Amino acid sequence: MASNLLEPIAAGQTRFHMQGVAPDGRGIAVGRETLLVFPSLDRLVAFLGAYSEECSLDDLIPSLTLERARRDGGGQALLLRCAGGDSYALDRLGRMATAVHGQLFTGSGTVFVRYRDRFAPFGYDLSGPAGRAPPPRAAGTPAGAVLLAEEVLVVDHDYQARYRATDHLDPVELIQRLQLRAVPLPPGGLGESPDLCGLHDLALVLVAPGLSDRVLAYLWGNQVAMAGVRVALAGERRASLLLRLRQPSGQVLSVLHGIPGVELLVPVSPRAAVELGFRHPIHLASASSCLPGDEMYLFRGRVARVERLEGAPQFIDGSHLVVSRTRVASPGAVGEPGDARGVASTSLQVALRLRPAHGAREPRGALVPWEQAALLRKLVYLIPPTALAAARLAVLPQGMLVLTGSSLGGAGAGLAAGVGAAALIPLGTRIVEVAPGVLVPDGFELWPHVRPQLIRELLGLEASDHALFLGPGTDPLRLRPDHLIPLDAAMISRLELAVSEAPPSELLTRPEGAAAAIVNDPLGRFALWGFGRVDNAPIPATAGRELPQGHDD
Amino acid sequence: MSKRLAEFIDGFVVPLLGADDLHIGAPVRPSDFHELLAEVHTLRNGPVPQLRLARAQQLLADPGLPDPDGEELALWVGLYNVLALDHPERERVWARSVTWQRVEQAARYWLQLSHPSNFEAALVRHISVGAFVDLMRRDQILSGPEGEQRYVGQEVPRRRLRWAVPGALSVRDERIPWWTSTHAPEPERLLSDVLWASPMTCLLRPRQAPPGWNPLTAAAYLQERAFARVVCHQWAASRNWIEIGGAVLGALLFTLTGRPTQDPEPRPAEPRPTRGRSGRGTGRPSTDQGAIAAIAALPATPIDAGPADVAALIGALIHVHFLRVLEFGARLGVAPTSRDRPVQMFLALPLLLPNLVDVLGEPLPGDASAGFDGQVQRRWTEYVEHLGELIPRSVVENLVATLVPRVVKAASA
Repeated sequence: MASNLLEPIAAGQTRFHMQGVAPDGRGIAVGRETLLVFPSLDRLVAFLGAYSEECSLDDLIPSLTLERARRDGGGQALLLRCAGGDSYALDRLGRMATAVHGQLFTGSGTVFVRYRDRFAPFGYDLSGPAGRAPPPRAAGTPAGAVLLAEEVLVVDHDYQARYRATDHLDPVELIQRLQLRAVPLPPGGLGESPDLCGLHDLALVLVAPGLSDRVLAYLWGNQVAMAGVRVALAGERRASLLLRLRQPSGQVLSVLHGIPGVELLVPVSPRAAVELGFRHPIHLASASSCLPGDEMYLFRGRVARVERLEGAPQFIDGSHLVVSRTRVASPGAVGEPGDARGVASTSLQVALRLRPAHGAREPRGALVPWEQAALLRKLVYLIPPTALAAARLAVLPQGMLVLTGSSLGGAGAGLAAGVGAAALIPLGTRIVEVAPGVLVPDGFELWPHVRPQLIRELLGLEASDHALFLGPGTDPLRLRPDHLIPLDAAMISRLELAVSEAPPSELLTRPEGAAAAIVNDPLGRFALWGFGRVDNAPIPATAGRELPQGHDD
Repeated sequence: MSKRLAEFIDGFVVPLLGADDLHIGAPVRPSDFHELLAEVHTLRNGPVPQLRLARAQQLLADPGLPDPDGEELALWVGLYNVLALDHPERERVWARSVTWQRVEQAARYWLQLSHPSNFEAALVRHISVGAFVDLMRRDQILSGPEGEQRYVGQEVPRRRLRWAVPGALSVRDERIPWWTSTHAPEPERLLSDVLWASPMTCLLRPRQAPPGWNPLTAAAYLQERAFARVVCHQWAASRNWIEIGGAVLGALLFTLTGRPTQDPEPRPAEPRPTRGRSGRGTGRPSTDQGAIAAIAALPATPIDAGPADVAALIGALIHVHFLRVLEFGARLGVAPTSRDRPVQMFLALPLLLPNLVDVLGEPLPGDASAGFDGQVQRRWTEYVEHLGELIPRSVVENLVATLVPRVVKAASA
């Protein structure tokens, strides 16, 4: 085969004209870098999709750069550069690149040569010696080539092309912004598909805010195992509902799929889900590095948006989300035998109440009545600084609650195991903790003994909320995090610095950089009295250099 | 000291120099100025010399300042009248617009001073003009259900709060820099006159310099070693040190070659908006803006500046690079802002050192190979190499062709 620029590499050849190329274990010449040239963006996306199906993009992404380049002599191309591996990896890259009309080159720096083919099983090398025409900035280039830093020269059998990079593309951003591709659904409904279009085991449902209660009631009525969380989507005022359905039936999915405002999402990786009826061009399960951080990504096809949820969604069991208003209209309207969830069961309910207890518990806080506020004010001086810094104060109608430790994170958690301010304050009623964040007066406990976590669920407490029982027969109080303010900040009054009357000479000691301030005094009606001219003659045009005359009145 | 002079000094000059509240009322009339001028010699015994000295010592350790004279008093009166023209209650004054034009003309007359005769005279002007540029304005904003009303440099009148429902109105204070705030047309036109009066202020704040500013007007002051150090450190201490260097070098090259280094940016719509008060002083018609722009575009007054002054400016700009290298902060900050042409030229200056070393010398002694000097030398070399990769070759070649001969050949001739 006639070739002027390249020559095939012989078996066992170890010295090459091309710099940065070395034989691998099979004797095939492999460069430090690999360059793939694609004629258009869709070819590049097709390559990434094919590669992600077969291999893991996570291996490729760390060393991957994408550049939009202009070719000398006209034309544009997209350059994909990555680290050169062994010849097996390059064979795979070459096979996929050829399938999408791309070209594979190997080399290093700015000069790349064609990778091996069936005519040269060990690869190609530059035909001429490097020293024949040494260019100043890129040793190893063919004769006459002077390359700039942002240029890349690719050499094939009978031509060489020079590409000048014009724009850099972030591969991670590119993959996240790709438009989803629509895929057809079974014409007879989702039930026809054997794996329910990928929703057989798990399905995610994004419900618009106004529909959440009805959708929850429908799923609850069909006994679908579900969990949900409210997620705030960008640009929407009200939080949408994200549901996780375990092993949903095809009928349920078909019903949900037909409701406007309800989107079914197929989980494609632990942190990504794509709307049903659409497919991401990249196989996201093999591209976890394309989704940085611990966010969850919802790719929505119909509205063409990518929703980022901060952190993995913490799903709550669906039983806590349902607002059940089901009533027994008549005795004959009871549903199936054995399903009594819709029937009112007030006869089984018992009240959770306080009762005296004898066990000793570590005090977590103190409820100081308002009459003893003056004493508390004096005791603040005696509390050690670490205990004072960790103590929190909640102002209640019944008094001041000084809280120094809690099993919850956040306020006062650092001192949960140590001696807090509450143990040092001999005032008011001591408060102990019977469940995480559930506070009762010392000497009481909650009866019956239920699981501590269940107490929080029964009380409807959110993650950082506290509940305070003041005594038997009174309703508990919910203390949100903003109710608990640092004790030191609440008790220490704001300091006012006295302003000293500086004598005029002390003006000299003002700090450097201090600036004067303008104060506009009231202006009288006759503020310009005296600027008029005596003879009422107009001011000459060159008055800028002439002092206007005036007179005193 | 007469009562009128004492009032002016205590109400305006002392607060201006001492960073206190200065009170602005009716403008100073020319006849009042003559009266003040007759007693200017009495100022040497008051607090003004001490305040000037304290302010000058923020720049130099031992400045030698002349006594206050009539020129400085004219500058003060001009600055006062600029502020008076920006008074928010101008509409209350019974006067025609032509009278306000006379006030503006008087202020411009007092601000048009000749070039400072020596370094001390320039420093005295910078003391006042620098303080003027730093001025703040204390506004009070009255908030109510109908909206907000701003009282510019004034307190909310008590009558506004007298019959208000408790809690319906709230008042908050706000301090804003006067120089960059919105002004009436007349003081807006006078701002460039204020800066032209003090070449040293323009040199220290080149980004605020008026259009057509020539840095060579103040380059001679860089011969004062202490002041040159002040200038370099003030430029280098700014977060926008690259833009400052670009502004100085762009103005210098425009002065030397007569060609702008970059296409002029489109001017904002003229005239600048006022505060939207009806009946506010109408000022001159907007055609004057064009006239002023035309004046600014004319060649500046011939300055007796030679190659030594150009070399001093170039040396100061290169020293700014060196100061940033000393603070480890240069390399990171260089890359993002390197598209502007003057900025690129400023960044290319260290690459000219091999051509200028005979005139300017080197930042470090030649035998700096060990100890702290060695470390700095390595960092400087690395920084220059980084600039060589960053700056296009054409920029360096352009500077070698245009700037270097004005320093090297002229100095050797």
